[in-house]
Amino acid sequence: MRISDPKDMWAEGPSEKEIVQDVLSRYHHISSRFLAWCGVLGILFLLGVVVVLIRIFNGFEDRSEWGYYSATLLFIALTFMSTPIISAGLRLAKGQWRRPMTRVPELYGVVGMLGLLMLFPAIAALPPIEGRQTIWFEWPTFAPMGWDAVGMLALVLTGLTMLWMLAIPDLAKVRDHFPPSGRQKFITWLAMGWVGSVRQWRIHRLGVLTLGGMYLLLFPLVATLLGSELSAGLLPGYKDAIQPAYLIIVGVQAGLALTLVTMYVLRSAGGYERYLGVDQFWALSKPLLALSLLWFYFWWSTFITFWYGRQPSEVNIIRFLMFESYRLPFLMTFFLNFIMPLLALMWNPIRKSLAGPALVSVGILIGTLFNTIRLVVSAYSVPDPTLHLLTEVPKGQFPGVIDLLIVVGGISGAVLLFLLASKIIPPFSLWEMGEGTRLVRVRRFMNRTVRVISKQN
Amino acid sequence: MYYRRTLTDEQINRELLGTVFSTPLWWVLLVSVLGLVVLGAASAVGFMVDQGLQVTGLNRPVFWGFFITNFVFWVGISHAGVMISAILRLSQAEWRRPMTRAAEVMTVFALMTAAMMPLVHLGRLWRFYWFTPYDFARGIWPDVRSPLVWDPMAITTYLTGSVLFVYTALIPDLAVIRDRSTGWRKVVYGILSLNWHGNPRQWKLQAIAGILLSALILPVFVSVHSIVSWDFGVSLVPSWHVTVFAPYFVIGAVHSGVSAVVTLMAIMKKLYKLDNYIWEEHFDAVGRLLVVVATAWLFFFWLDLIFAFWLAEEQELTVWRLRLFHAPWSWLFLTFIVFSYVIPVPLWLSRRVRRNLTMMIITTLMVNVGMWLERFIIVVPSLMQKGPLTFDYASYRPSIVEITIVGGTFALVAFLILMFSKFFPLIPLWEAKEGQRLGDAIKVGAISVPGIVKEE
Repeated sequence: MRISDPKDMWAEGPSEKEIVQDVLSRYHHISSRFLAWCGVLGILFLLGVVVVLIRIFNGFEDRSEWGYYSATLLFIALTFMSTPIISAGLRLAKGQWRRPMTRVPELYGVVGMLGLLMLFPAIAALPPIEGRQTIWFEWPTFAPMGWDAVGMLALVLTGLTMLWMLAIPDLAKVRDHFPPSGRQKFITWLAMGWVGSVRQWRIHRLGVLTLGGMYLLLFPLVATLLGSELSAGLLPGYKDAIQPAYLIIVGVQAGLALTLVTMYVLRSAGGYERYLGVDQFWALSKPLLALSLLWFYFWWSTFITFWYGRQPSEVNIIRFLMFESYRLPFLMTFFLNFIMPLLALMWNPIRKSLAGPALVSVGILIGTLFNTIRLVVSAYSVPDPTLHLLTEVPKGQFPGVIDLLIVVGGISGAVLLFLLASKIIPPFSLWEMGEGTRLVRVRRFMNRTVRVISKQN
Repeated sequence: MYYRRTLTDEQINRELLGTVFSTPLWWVLLVSVLGLVVLGAASAVGFMVDQGLQVTGLNRPVFWGFFITNFVFWVGISHAGVMISAILRLSQAEWRRPMTRAAEVMTVFALMTAAMMPLVHLGRLWRFYWFTPYDFARGIWPDVRSPLVWDPMAITTYLTGSVLFVYTALIPDLAVIRDRSTGWRKVVYGILSLNWHGNPRQWKLQAIAGILLSALILPVFVSVHSIVSWDFGVSLVPSWHVTVFAPYFVIGAVHSGVSAVVTLMAIMKKLYKLDNYIWEEHFDAVGRLLVVVATAWLFFFWLDLIFAFWLAEEQELTVWRLRLFHAPWSWLFLTFIVFSYVIPVPLWLSRRVRRNLTMMIITTLMVNVGMWLERFIIVVPSLMQKGPLTFDYASYRPSIVEITIVGGTFALVAFLILMFSKFFPLIPLWEAKEGQRLGDAIKVGAISVPGIVKEE
């Protein structure tokens, strides 16, 4: 690849030592702006927690009150908890450009803890599984709460272990870099006596591969569980076999968008422009475009089957979720998750920019929120989920102030967790970036300056 | 990253154009045997046309049998070319180089074979034009809302795109053959190579065409098997009316198509002595890809299965009971799942198996046996059951005529690939040479790690 960006880190070739010095000094410094953001997000989160606690004390009889709460849960589970998949996938694909940005999606793994806590009230608000369509069929032992919690817990633990394991070499660097303090003690404990021996690296590599594979397998399972519990199982006559796969696509698309937005913020507000260049935005915007097309493809597969089938249950589901009660959220998501990314990212100059992919990503995140509201709030507002089919189309449920506080509080809590985690674990994978400096050389090739890139087997 | 062999341009030309300029005995024998099988299948078609569809096992209500199964299967195999070629080219995967041409050629021939199957299935071949909007005055206008009309359009578009794809990538190699030929061959290759001289402008145009075709053909690639799936999905036949069918069919097609490419590559390596070009590392890389593709396919299969029980509809359950618990379907089902996933994928997790040519041939052949059975199990049991619009129910057993014709299609594809290899190289010469030029190495500590000059 011809070197066109003079700020390209691989072209300029900062040494591993320079990278470590620079990133760790930024990581260690806690600015007043950072504290202010944490304060604002903390207050919003606490407000949300208070409102949810009040709702819990009021009981779960009126299921429709829990619609926006459960939609927030699904949004968090899909958007924030899908991000480790991106990291694992990029590492498997071995792209050189991935190195400065794999830690960002991994760090979002900590948000899983919030998702796990939010799961319990959402499931408690569900009607009994007897007499209605459910993924548990005739096996109600511990279902749904027990098995959903097990699935979610497994995903969260895998995400956290993956984050920790991948960060161990960097934590050791932090341990060795700064003088002792309370934070350092914790980090020293997390570094588990890492000295970088051959045996440690071998175990590290095996662990990363295994945990990445596990996360790739567990996320579809959890998406299937949540989709069927919070949406499909409550909509009478709704048989949409593609929904779990659709939710995975929605999640990965939103996770990628979240990663891009975070990278943009880190670059512009965090001063990391030397590492997060056009290369990363350009490379990530291609799968983002592909995922937007897949979003449409998966949605279309449902729509065309229902539209052709024209069975009463199918007609009413289409009316309910797309064309009548939830038309506005549907149109918003259709535009923000498909039309806008397609129209913008089909142009290489937009893909090969910083603001273009970031702006599209903001739209995708908003669209995903509308999408989860459409799928979950609608399901929680159906009065009788034990019917064989949706005999009449219920009205759409608009959010009240309390619902809005819950949604904003949930998202604020997720972002707050990320910010806090980024002060324990460096937001850049130092060992991968260091490895990158050793595997790239700039050479002359046929009268041009090119990069020679090597990949480890 | 691979430790590449150092080859000169002259050596590449000599080795890869071997069968173009000489005819080995094995080639003659193989082409003759396959030609005879194809001739037998063509005779069976002739017999069927003469006698009518009564010589097949088709009956009421099982109107779709071996032919449609085979149609879906070959459309599936045709997905290999684009998967390997376009996606790997766009993602600049280095290991794609030796397998792109074979994959693309397999796409073209598999698609041609697939397109023949509905015609054979018609019985009255001469009425195929009923699919096409040919005569407004007579009011014969096919229902454009029917996926049976979308099929010919999608397949024709895909075939056209695939032929262009093969041809565009073939032009530099055609020029090489032209420059080494005399007489009529020089004239023919001269015309086909479009006056290629390899100047920078021509290379630039060729590269742009390759990227554009790669990007444009991808949606077509997805749409073709999706449309085939909607032949089933938009009907109300129990177990067919499923929203997941489109991606399930597409990923299944990629699974079987890429497996077929591995089989083909392994056979090519043996027959054409391509050890300098197709290495263990290539099988290793494609084996890893197959693990991912097969697991994704299994997920979609699981969705199809689990949602069959979602609403507990009796008709749907009846079909699945038939597939799962009643012989011979249960045995076929077991064979299908064991061959498509249970045996090959755990084996592919082992690096030793992925690098073993014989094991890769066996496992990828198993996948395609399994995937053929999958299509058969989707097509037939659903029709056998008494549904709301069906007043009979019956079983289906393929006749010898159907078996002969279907067997002939496998021989036909092999025959066509062999014929292709007589006139064109099965590994792109220019890709092999480009790989040589872009190969490099980086010294890390005491070892030299292979690297690649990244193209723009």
